[in-house]
Amino acid sequence: MVEAHHLTKAYPDLQTGQFIALNQVSFQVGPGEIFGLLGPNGAGKTTALRILSTVLKPTGGYARVNGFDVVTHPYEVRHSIGFVSSNTAIYDRMTAWEMVEYFGKLYGLDAERLAERMDRVFTQLQMHDIRDVAGARMSTGMKQKVSIARAIVHDPPVLVFDEASLGLDILVARALLEIIAGLREEGKCIIFSTHIMREVERLCDRVGILYHGRMLAAGTLQDLALQYDESDFEEMFFRMLQDSDRQLSTERCQGIL
Amino acid sequence: MNWKHVHLIFLREMNDQLRDRRTLFTIAILPMLLYPLLGMLMMQIAQFHREYTVSIRVVGAENWPARSPLLDAHQQLIPLPGLEKITRLVEIEAVPWPSDDSPEARAKLEQASRAAVMADVVDAVLLIEPEFDSLLQLRAAHATQSDAPPDSTQEVGQDTEQRAGGNARLAAEISAEKATEPAQVPVSETEDGLELIANLARDNSKIAQARLSTVLDQWRANWVVSQLSAAGVNPRLVEPIMLTETDTSVSSVRRAMLWSKILPFVMLVWALTGAFYPAIDLCAGEKERGTLETLLSSPARRREIVWGKLLTISVFSIGSALLNLMSMHLTAGIIVKQLASQGSTEIASVLGPMPIHAFGWLVLLLIPMAAFFSALALAVAALARSTKEGQYYLMPLLMVTLPLVALPMLPSLQLNLGTSLVPVSGAVFLVRSLIEGRYTEAVVHLPVVVLVTAACCWLALRWAIRQFESEAVMFREADRWSVKLWMRHLWRDRGDTASPTEAVLCGLTIIIGMFFAQFVAGSTIHDFTSIATSTVIVQIAIILTPCVLMALFLTRSPRRALRIHRPQFSHVVAAVMIGVAMHPSYMALGSGISQVYEIGEETSSVLQMFQSLVLSQPLWIILLLMAALPAICEELAFRGFIFGGLLHKNGALRAIVVSALFFGFTHPVLQQSIAASLMGLMLGLIAWRTGGVLCTILVHAINNTLSLTMAWCAANHVSLPARLNWAVSTQGDAWTYRPEWIAISVFITLAMLVVLFRRNADTRQVVQAEMA
Repeated sequence: MVEAHHLTKAYPDLQTGQFIALNQVSFQVGPGEIFGLLGPNGAGKTTALRILSTVLKPTGGYARVNGFDVVTHPYEVRHSIGFVSSNTAIYDRMTAWEMVEYFGKLYGLDAERLAERMDRVFTQLQMHDIRDVAGARMSTGMKQKVSIARAIVHDPPVLVFDEASLGLDILVARALLEIIAGLREEGKCIIFSTHIMREVERLCDRVGILYHGRMLAAGTLQDLALQYDESDFEEMFFRMLQDSDRQLSTERCQGIL
Repeated sequence: MNWKHVHLIFLREMNDQLRDRRTLFTIAILPMLLYPLLGMLMMQIAQFHREYTVSIRVVGAENWPARSPLLDAHQQLIPLPGLEKITRLVEIEAVPWPSDDSPEARAKLEQASRAAVMADVVDAVLLIEPEFDSLLQLRAAHATQSDAPPDSTQEVGQDTEQRAGGNARLAAEISAEKATEPAQVPVSETEDGLELIANLARDNSKIAQARLSTVLDQWRANWVVSQLSAAGVNPRLVEPIMLTETDTSVSSVRRAMLWSKILPFVMLVWALTGAFYPAIDLCAGEKERGTLETLLSSPARRREIVWGKLLTISVFSIGSALLNLMSMHLTAGIIVKQLASQGSTEIASVLGPMPIHAFGWLVLLLIPMAAFFSALALAVAALARSTKEGQYYLMPLLMVTLPLVALPMLPSLQLNLGTSLVPVSGAVFLVRSLIEGRYTEAVVHLPVVVLVTAACCWLALRWAIRQFESEAVMFREADRWSVKLWMRHLWRDRGDTASPTEAVLCGLTIIIGMFFAQFVAGSTIHDFTSIATSTVIVQIAIILTPCVLMALFLTRSPRRALRIHRPQFSHVVAAVMIGVAMHPSYMALGSGISQVYEIGEETSSVLQMFQSLVLSQPLWIILLLMAALPAICEELAFRGFIFGGLLHKNGALRAIVVSALFFGFTHPVLQQSIAASLMGLMLGLIAWRTGGVLCTILVHAINNTLSLTMAWCAANHVSLPARLNWAVSTQGDAWTYRPEWIAISVFITLAMLVVLFRRNADTRQVVQAEMA
């Protein structure tokens, strides 16, 4: 469903000349699966997911969503994907209903299908009581719900949640995870990026650890636990980062990098 | 392009903006309040000027000639015919002249009067000195005495202001007294014995001064008439000519003229501001609020988003301009009506309501202009990360566009081919012609204006779309920036050739250098040595040095950065032939341009002096200095470093156009700039096709050599060699190309260009291989 192959993104940078935000990252996610992209801030998660949502173009490698290449067929990719990010806010001067309807129309849904989908999404996310509330008056939790509604109104097979739980209180975050789990039940292919271990443990079928733009490890939690001989996921995560830092400094000393 | 998306985005953005109170206030409420408020203020000021009663202290009213008194029995101004209203608004405080008439006492009196005015005790003080009356009589006597020759009679008429006519009886008496030494009292140098003290920094004092002057002027005129009549001279003598003025213009056209100058300016300034604020909100504001990324990840393509936003901004730009226009016009209408009802018919006839058809033409102008400004504002606003940052970009945008909007306000500029080519201004000139009813002129220039305006709109739109497609612009993060970091980055990340930014920077450096060099050179050129020195300095220091230095320090391969490579033999042949064959067209172009944009007298005399100084030198020196040197320096700069930098990432069109413009701008005279820009396009094309700078050096050098040689031969009366008769003819001393050769040369030029284009494939491979 989603396939990233040696995905690389480099930016020109004043300080270092070139900043490699994403370095040959590869992963695959199938339908009905939640893939957790885990990494500290600045690891490259947002860059990877922005490439999948076609707002950024990779400088190397390729990525396919629902069989469409993100560079050559961005239009088709955007139809197949629902993108929720901490950077994708909702409009202050639009009500929840108007906002979701607007995006439904942009996704090309005809009136009948749009009405049916809107009703379903609003019911599914329990949003009927906020349908006429303007964005500026909503709480963070309400806003997040509207964002999700906006992303799933066209019923896309792939959903991307980039740090979607950022800034949510514990109740709302829990509700969000339940919604995402519900979407998995519908057979959606979901990529969920976070830096919170608990969320990964609760939700993800497989995880990829991203650090300094590189994929350190990927697999099911059990596989990783076996591989690193560590049952505590948080400990395992820290070890991976430390190993990576050590390896990086060794490489630098040897003049490889 | 999915227009349904554009429509959806447009509707949403419109709704969004209409729900924003700030936008509505700036766009709709402000203009509706602004002009009535301004109008009220103006009316208040006018009313103050009209109805304020001024107080004037008159010191020494008893010294005024009793024959024609200024004040009545109540010590107030006697109303003169036609000045009743003014007189009523002047309150006089009469003070007798002090009995002590020593110079010290006079100085004291003057000081006290000044202090009274400064302290605002009275609005003005009129000092009538005791000798005022006798001086008046003396003048009358003098005037009557010098009446004898007919010439001086006329003089009296001309200088009535200074020389009052004399009463015959008084004149006789005084002439008897002063007959011995009349020449010792030169009339024009005698003081009048009248002094008006006012503080012109204060409005009320200014009004007092103006009213009293009016009354005194009228009194003086009456006095002159009565004196002349008494002396038996026809008073008409002081006004020997009565001019009957007939205005052929219809008052509506006259009004149209005035409005057609003011309204486009006001309208376009509001169109720009009306576009800018929504543009900031729709780009920077959305970036800040995080909603832009939501939209960018939706199925709408970037160009559809740009179109949707552009339409919204245009609507607000048009709306803002129209509302301002109407509000201003309505307010002006009301004020003018008010003024007319108070008797100011003159103002009313000039400022009266604008003809209704003019509105139609203005709206027609507004639509493309609003589109252009909106696209510009959108592209500029896209750069900003936040609304606050966006506000900073308003000033540079205004600096670029305001001169274009203000240009048509300059007097004596009219619609012609030259002005119609200027973006924005051309369209304003066209609409002005339409408003003033000069339809033929407008129709003739319509295609050019439409073409220029359409090109501007298209370019601005393309820029806006490119901004939205650029990741660096849309997802710009706040970088840590410092000069040291930047310098390090320039050195560390330098490429084989210059970057487009470095190329533009180099071009701007040269232009700024040329600007200052012009001032220095202009004041020092007086002989050939100074011309030679300034040419060498300009070419080497100002044009060549910046690009060579930049190539050395900012690129890894200065040779490639300056585009120096061995050309193919066939290209050299083609370049030589183009150089020779293109010259007649270039000469024709030059004379065509100077016909359209006439060279001013001053410029042309400077050019002539320059030419005569240069052409008196031996030919080989001139060629070395004015053909070889500029060809090498200018080509290395413009078709070398700048062109190479702009060529990055398939920017051939950009490289050709921008390098040609830079090349044009470095020429001081406008006509030369235009010709050089066009020539620059051709040189750019050759530079692109041949992959290097050496062929264009050849073309440039040959072109200059031919121009200089022909001018030199003409100036030094060299007769035309018979073997050149087929191409060149002489008119007097001047050498000109024969029309048949011009036709053939155009054909040869085109043929050589075809050769360059056809052989280009292998060249590009060679160059690419070299670059790799």
